[in-house]
Amino acid sequence: MTKAIHFLPDEKNHEATRLLPYVMAVMVYLSALALMGSMMLHKGFGDWTESLSNRLTVQVTTADQETRETEVRKVMQLLRNTPGIEHVRKLNEVEIEQLLEPWLGAGNVTSDLPVPDILDVTVSRAVDINLDALNAQISKISGNIHLDDHQQWLGRFLRLMDMVEYTALGILLLVVMATICMVIFGTKAGMAENRETIAIMHHLGAQDSMVARAYQNRFMIYGLKGGVIGLLLAFVTLISLIYLSRDLASGLVKVPELPTVEVGILLVVPIIAAAISMLTARITVMRDLRRMV
Amino acid sequence: MIHFDNIGMRYGMGSEVLKDIAFNLKPGSLHFLTGPSGAGKTSLLKLMYLAQRPSRGKITMFNEDVTAAKREDLPKLRRRIGVVFQDFRLLDHLTAVENVALPLRISGGKGAEIEEHVEELLTWVGLKGRMKSRPPTLSGGEKQRVAIARAVIKRPDILLADEPTGNVDPAIAKRIMHLFVELNKLGTTTVIATHDMSLVEEIGADRLHLQEGRLHMIRAGENTPKLKEEKFDSLAFDSGKLDQKEFGPKVISGDDMS
Repeated sequence: MTKAIHFLPDEKNHEATRLLPYVMAVMVYLSALALMGSMMLHKGFGDWTESLSNRLTVQVTTADQETRETEVRKVMQLLRNTPGIEHVRKLNEVEIEQLLEPWLGAGNVTSDLPVPDILDVTVSRAVDINLDALNAQISKISGNIHLDDHQQWLGRFLRLMDMVEYTALGILLLVVMATICMVIFGTKAGMAENRETIAIMHHLGAQDSMVARAYQNRFMIYGLKGGVIGLLLAFVTLISLIYLSRDLASGLVKVPELPTVEVGILLVVPIIAAAISMLTARITVMRDLRRMV
Repeated sequence: MIHFDNIGMRYGMGSEVLKDIAFNLKPGSLHFLTGPSGAGKTSLLKLMYLAQRPSRGKITMFNEDVTAAKREDLPKLRRRIGVVFQDFRLLDHLTAVENVALPLRISGGKGAEIEEHVEELLTWVGLKGRMKSRPPTLSGGEKQRVAIARAVIKRPDILLADEPTGNVDPAIAKRIMHLFVELNKLGTTTVIATHDMSLVEEIGADRLHLQEGRLHMIRAGENTPKLKEEKFDSLAFDSGKLDQKEFGPKVISGDDMS
């Protein structure tokens, strides 16, 4: 391994590249936001789908109170006798009010408001229930009973989740590519600025790897500096957004939270930025030097 | 030490700036490289310090065919060559000590050892009080001495100097020239490109004379012949046949350089 030799002018005199850490900060900021957004949504959707995946909802919408109560009893009996169904519970008035409040506002759910009876059904994950057969049996009790297994909803959600994740990945790839292009440009500009210095180093017997080491070290520091600044800004932005969303959400949607493990992963982003910057600079310098005598 | 065999060199698609160059310099010899501006002196030196490759022919240095050497093998050969450039080519952002220390650092020398060695040499060339100065604050003569110190710090096997006295007054020029002679006496094969014929005559070494890209050997004490290069073939000669005594080198001490 060749030894690092200090032969380049100080960073502050390096016109071509001294702004690079700030541009790197912007790149890391964008990629960290994309990553964090993706991870938060992934976790949020994950929790949601997890909570819905073993649940069924049955709504009994018959207008007549007495008939409805009879139908509710019958359907609860049917469900309890169905293999694979672990638990059936009818939501009480307070729970139904709580479900409606985010849409109608607190205190606006009056007793004369026609609301259906809702049964919350917990299904065993181990048993595969034939929902079509179950639906057919429920229909025999009444045409006003509706079974919802949330699959249509979940399907849309999963597609959205995939879309969001692919978009975030796409943004990340674009940012990485832009960063690589920027480092190549910066390295070439830096080399052009110091062409004479590099030529002298060569005449004195410096190997290409010695010259490359000086540049790769410098660009690694740029990457690290920019990475730390960008990540800090991304954290500030996200925490601010979460804080604001808590005020606005009012219970309609679940407020996302910063997932601890994933946030820990983000701490390596500056190191990745530094590594990309360092490797790109090294490859660029070595390739350019090979064209010299 | 340096053997050129039928060398031709051109830049890009241009005409040849060096034509049919052939010579052999024995280890420990001293030669001047003379010729009018544009004759190809700097190009010839570039070939010798491995900054250019010839368009044709074969160069042997240190018993290696450097024309066929791989690019990655050149640095270790270059480390055996000290070069004093016409325009010094010091790194302006480094101090005199750091500039002179570069060849040692490149060769993997250790910090304290390097510093001691460099300071000793800079003191010897009369720059004791200017060690921490950067080239832009040094005079022409001081820069020249820093450049020379950098070239000789590793006791190179070959020392090449391109117009080393072109930017200094006659008194300093004389001292610098004597320093080269001193180094040559220590065994360094030396080639000095110069226009200063008075110094050439004073030192009295053989000359490699270039005119319009062709090389002519002029022995010490001979006058420059009127050359019609179209009619002359380049001369291949062996410097070992020359009488080294004729160079008349003067030994100087470090005090002489201050």
